Amino acid sequence: MDPEGAGPVPDTLKIVVAGGFGAGKTTLVSAVSEVESLHTEEVMTSESVGVDDLEGVEGKATTTVALDFGRITLDQTTVVYLFGTPGQRRFSFMWEELAQGALGAVVLADTRRLADSFDAIDFFESRGVPFVVAVNCFDGQRTHRAEDVRVALDVEERVPLLLCDARDRESVKEVLVELVTLVLRLELSGA
Amino acid sequence: MDGVPPEGEGGREWSFESSLIRPYSLTGGRVRPSRTDFSMTSQVVAVPRTRPVRVDPELELILSLCVRPVSVAEVASRAGFPLGVARVLLADLLDQGYVVVHTSGWESHRPDAQTLRSVLEGIRRL
Ligand SMILES: Nc1nc2c(ncn2[C@@H]2O[C@H](COP(=O)(O)OP(=O)(O)OP(=O)(O)O)[C@@H](O)[C@H]2O)c(=O)[nH]1
Ligand SMILES: [Mg+2]
Repeated sequence: MDPEGAGPVPDTLKIVVAGGFGAGKTTLVSAVSEVESLHTEEVMTSESVGVDDLEGVEGKATTTVALDFGRITLDQTTVVYLFGTPGQRRFSFMWEELAQGALGAVVLADTRRLADSFDAIDFFESRGVPFVVAVNCFDGQRTHRAEDVRVALDVEERVPLLLCDARDRESVKEVLVELVTLVLRLELSGA
Repeated sequence: MDGVPPEGEGGREWSFESSLIRPYSLTGGRVRPSRTDFSMTSQVVAVPRTRPVRVDPELELILSLCVRPVSVAEVASRAGFPLGVARVLLADLLDQGYVVVHTSGWESHRPDAQTLRSVLEGIRRL
């Protein structure tokens, strides 16, 4: 499809960034995005499973999930979108859609609250979405040993786990390279 | 076709809350689009020379945002609508032939190794 005058339409790849409150999702996305990180929200009513009607939405219990996202244009034909999403199970209605068609996911773990990552790890594992665990080292020093974090999170060896600084573009690039390398490995092994 | 939220009609306020709720009344309460062609990263483009003569300000706003290919998520973000609302409105525009939509094949199958390698290169080059 090339609507006259609108230029070629790029193919898109989606990478999901999940992590607990304050884990550094927005920071990570902004570190590599070519646009200031964008923001949108999705509203979910308490009864919306199977309900098609939001008339009087004001009166119902709603959950609003904030999504921030960034864009990386690799070339004329390929654009990568990074979506940050909260890592708590009650937001999982959003994960389903985000996981759909995703290239892979980054679980951003906060060393001060490692348990916040469990839900996201379980989710991506159960959906067969390739993911890496990026441990955001807030103290600036890499005092945490990746292997200790792996044990604490009970993450299998085949899941890449690395330390990162979400503020640092090079560090975030490394995380993304790790993820795409994993996906490439899966592709080559026919998995 | 300036990209600002509609205002001025009877001094309607564009408060955050009304901007969240009101678009759902614009969609007639629908939360599902009439078609399901839109993923968050689907690219939408306004079809040139089909711009309707009279159109709701919200639809006008959306059309002005997709003069060039742009993702559904970006349309929602820039229009200030929740994702679901943007989808419903885009579906209406699609049904009427004012926009076309392109969803990457990579959403249904993993990119091939060659594509993945060029993605890797692209990221390293950033
Ligand atoms: N020292 C340090 N601070 C960081 C790092 N990453 C993020 N921060 C800071 O931590 C705070 C939270 O980061 P955000 O990127 O907003 O985290 P978030 O996951 O998007 O947070 P929520 O969307 O509120 O859940 C901000 O003030 C960041 O500047 C890091 O690697 N090191
Ligand atoms: Mg955030």
